[in-house]
Amino acid sequence: MFKYLAKLFSPRARLGPEALQSAFREHYRNFRALLTANNNALELMSAAEEMLHSGKPFGMAFVGGDLTALTVNVYKMVRSLIALSDGRYKELEDRFKVIADRIEMIRSRQPEVSGSAFILTMDEIDCRAVDQVGAKMANLGEMRNRLGLRVPEGFAVTVTAALHFMEASHISDEINRRLQTLDVEDLKALYKVSADIENLIRNAPLPADLDRLIREHADALARGASGPATVSLRSSAWGEDSRPGSFAGQYRTRLGVAIADIPETYKDIVAGKYRSQAIVYRQQRGYRHQDVLMCVGCLVMVDAVTSGVCFSRPPDDPRSPWVVIHAAPGLGNHIVDGSSAYDLLRVSREPPRQVVQVETATGLRDDACLSLEHARELAEVSLRIEEHFGSPQDIEWAVDRNGRLVILQARPSGASAAPGTDRESAAATELPLLSGGAVASRGVAAGEVCKVGSADDVLRFPRNAVLVVETPYPEWAVLINRAVAVVSESGQMATHLATVAREFGVPALFDLPGAMSRLENGQMVTVDATGRRVYEGRIDALLAAAPHRPNLMEGSPIHALLKEALTHITPLHLTEPDSPHFKPASCRSLHDITRFCHEKALAEMLKLGRRYGSRDKSAKQLYVVGMPSQWWVVNLEDGFRDGADLSGHFIRIEDICSEPMRAIWQGMTALPWQGPPPVSLRGFGSIVAQSAMNPQLDPAVRSSMSGRNYFLVSRNYCNLSVRLGYHFALAEASFSELLSESYVNFSFQGGAADERRRRRRVRLLADILGEMGFRVDLKGDSLSARIEKRPVAYLRERLMVLGYLLIHTRQMDMVMHDDARVDQFVAKLHADIRMIRDNMSADSGVDNETTSQHPAG
Amino acid sequence: MKQPRNILLVDDEEEFLETTSLRLRRRSFEVRTATRWSEAMPEVEAGWPHVVVLDVMLPDVDGMECLRRIKDLRRHLPVVMLTGHASLQASLWGLEHGASDYCLKPIELDELIEKIIIAYQDAGGSS
Repeated sequence: MFKYLAKLFSPRARLGPEALQSAFREHYRNFRALLTANNNALELMSAAEEMLHSGKPFGMAFVGGDLTALTVNVYKMVRSLIALSDGRYKELEDRFKVIADRIEMIRSRQPEVSGSAFILTMDEIDCRAVDQVGAKMANLGEMRNRLGLRVPEGFAVTVTAALHFMEASHISDEINRRLQTLDVEDLKALYKVSADIENLIRNAPLPADLDRLIREHADALARGASGPATVSLRSSAWGEDSRPGSFAGQYRTRLGVAIADIPETYKDIVAGKYRSQAIVYRQQRGYRHQDVLMCVGCLVMVDAVTSGVCFSRPPDDPRSPWVVIHAAPGLGNHIVDGSSAYDLLRVSREPPRQVVQVETATGLRDDACLSLEHARELAEVSLRIEEHFGSPQDIEWAVDRNGRLVILQARPSGASAAPGTDRESAAATELPLLSGGAVASRGVAAGEVCKVGSADDVLRFPRNAVLVVETPYPEWAVLINRAVAVVSESGQMATHLATVAREFGVPALFDLPGAMSRLENGQMVTVDATGRRVYEGRIDALLAAAPHRPNLMEGSPIHALLKEALTHITPLHLTEPDSPHFKPASCRSLHDITRFCHEKALAEMLKLGRRYGSRDKSAKQLYVVGMPSQWWVVNLEDGFRDGADLSGHFIRIEDICSEPMRAIWQGMTALPWQGPPPVSLRGFGSIVAQSAMNPQLDPAVRSSMSGRNYFLVSRNYCNLSVRLGYHFALAEASFSELLSESYVNFSFQGGAADERRRRRRVRLLADILGEMGFRVDLKGDSLSARIEKRPVAYLRERLMVLGYLLIHTRQMDMVMHDDARVDQFVAKLHADIRMIRDNMSADSGVDNETTSQHPAG
Repeated sequence: MKQPRNILLVDDEEEFLETTSLRLRRRSFEVRTATRWSEAMPEVEAGWPHVVVLDVMLPDVDGMECLRRIKDLRRHLPVVMLTGHASLQASLWGLEHGASDYCLKPIELDELIEKIIIAYQDAGGSS
């Protein structure tokens, strides 16, 4: 193919005009494909950049989708350029693959798992085993083996085992496919995908070796126990980092599991990684699903009389002098699930550890289910744990039949994401609808009430509503990115839902009896969680003082991954086409490659035009009303009027039927290049003559071929590169019924002024283009602007303005040092633009003959 | 410009086939579907489709091999790869072996239609 084309275009080739035309058309097709891919690539790059800096949550579906589409488009450019250049830039393909491989390596990097053991017993586990058993189990082992605290006996099934299970069952691809196509905003789809994936895992057989090992260890536990033993199986997620509050209540815990059921239940816990709230949580906090693996702790059940949660310091008050204990009879997850009443005890942090406050569920101090001695012991232990781990702790504990204190779990309690101060909450003079309750997460927010009690309610939950519930179940966490605030009739700050609310900076007020009956669906309320009040309507004074939600993506694994990938994508090293470094080997980013392809493709097209220009009559000098201009026009396909006289060196503007070019030209010649008065477009001819003669329309620099001013045109397409003085500008437009091929692109780089003035100039341009509806991107003194997917009439108007700006911005330099004159100049620019836009409908073509619109009736 | 009319959707997800063909038919396309290569092959051999929309993973023959076989049978028949897997290797391989485009699910119908039309027109619109 390449050889064929090379022969075709060798100077000695003697081909008929038809063969030439068809070869040219092939080149033109490649050129157009390259430009379309270029636009797509640039758009995808800026979408990724925008996402990175937006603070909005995004998942691997976005990253994978964006990067794949980007790479595909850049690859299309490379292939188009190689075809266009008859194979000359073949080495660019290798360069591209090197860069693409680097990006792919970053994207698909698998977490590194250390250790080969499938199972570690409690006596083998301490903090150093965190890479094998996850943080929860590592901390438990650490407390047992380093602090000498009593914890349940048992073992952990490691991350290596989890990987082995997933690999042996060959379900990872299927899981990834479902997640890739999942829109987490669609809660119904989320529930379905979550259930499907959990079932895939539950139904996959355990590898025989792992199954055997688990059973062996389970039997050993049973032998060591007195009486019929049951166990609890708890998730211990691997891959969580140390950021506070992570993953509270997202996964699964099974209590009272019979020994024989351990292998099946193990799979159930592993499947819990894909519970719907866990998927939402990872999406919101920027974790890749494959970065989190499920280790599972298998622990002998404690025969508990009392159990609960203990904060070595309450998470909403880092200066509190108290240890806070929540206690309830029996064993269960009732407290963290928010489903039971509880006793509250405060113990002073300083010795002697006085129990300073007891609030019981019944209201009677003597009814407390935890003895004062146990409370003091627990406080003591919690402070040792805090000291050992170096931060305030959130501890789950139990007291067994023999009165022994057993620690079930400890993790950093984290600070409230929206700490706030103990400000006066008297800002509102209105009477609250509700007041009192327990602060679960500080902050203030307003929204419409939406009561939730079932999965159906969840599906109906609107964005930015106030979530009102009877019980703060962890399952409601799927709504944490939609709810602006949470109000619950029961529960307290130890519940998982409260932990997640603090983490996401969502105000939450719990333990507010009557909330479900007193608040109406759709009613606008302001929740002041800090002040423990709920008001009717929006109370702006309160809202104004509320802190912003934290940026949860910054620093997350996915954020870091995208940031790293972008270092191989967006930096532009190839800026100067005349430099000897402007070559494939110098391309270090995808952006470099797009730049190289774009520049060289343009050059190839021009060369092609010249190569057979005089024979084919495709490249012509523009001739306007009686005199030649310094503008050249290359006909790519059907940009010259049928029957136009193409025998000579020149083409008349009337013989050009490229709609986008005519729009640009109209803008360029609409007004004299300086000074009033503006002339009506009706007297167009004289203006054209004037403009064509004026130095602004005469390219000042023609040092290289790319420095010439060329219009590349077809009927619906125009690509104009201009060097006016030291400015370099590129305008490109395509009119099409296909939305993705209907656009205007403009880029501008200004020279010949000090940097401050250059920046000022592009900012001025950016403002004007922004007002015209362009999406503008400013980097230093270079500007790029784009409009797409708009009707042709809309684009035509923008092109006229661009044409006008191209000619008239150079004047800016002359006034840029003088503020008063700048204002004057800007006012004139705006007035001119208004006039051009107003006149557009009145006079839509250069002459009637080639105007596509019929004269208005 | 000529518009493609006959679209062959090849995908192992029945649900996707059902909804997509329904929506394409509403836009006046003729649509036939196949869940595996053995079903797709006769259509390609008979020269019925103007454009093929092809998933990367099929039960009998993988989509890459499928692309190769389509191209062996009909070199100029445009093929748009559409998949739930974001795979760089697969996408580059596809383009190298003559796929017109490589897109990821989920895709909006309008976008898919544009890809189909562009693929058809780039291929010369003659198949």
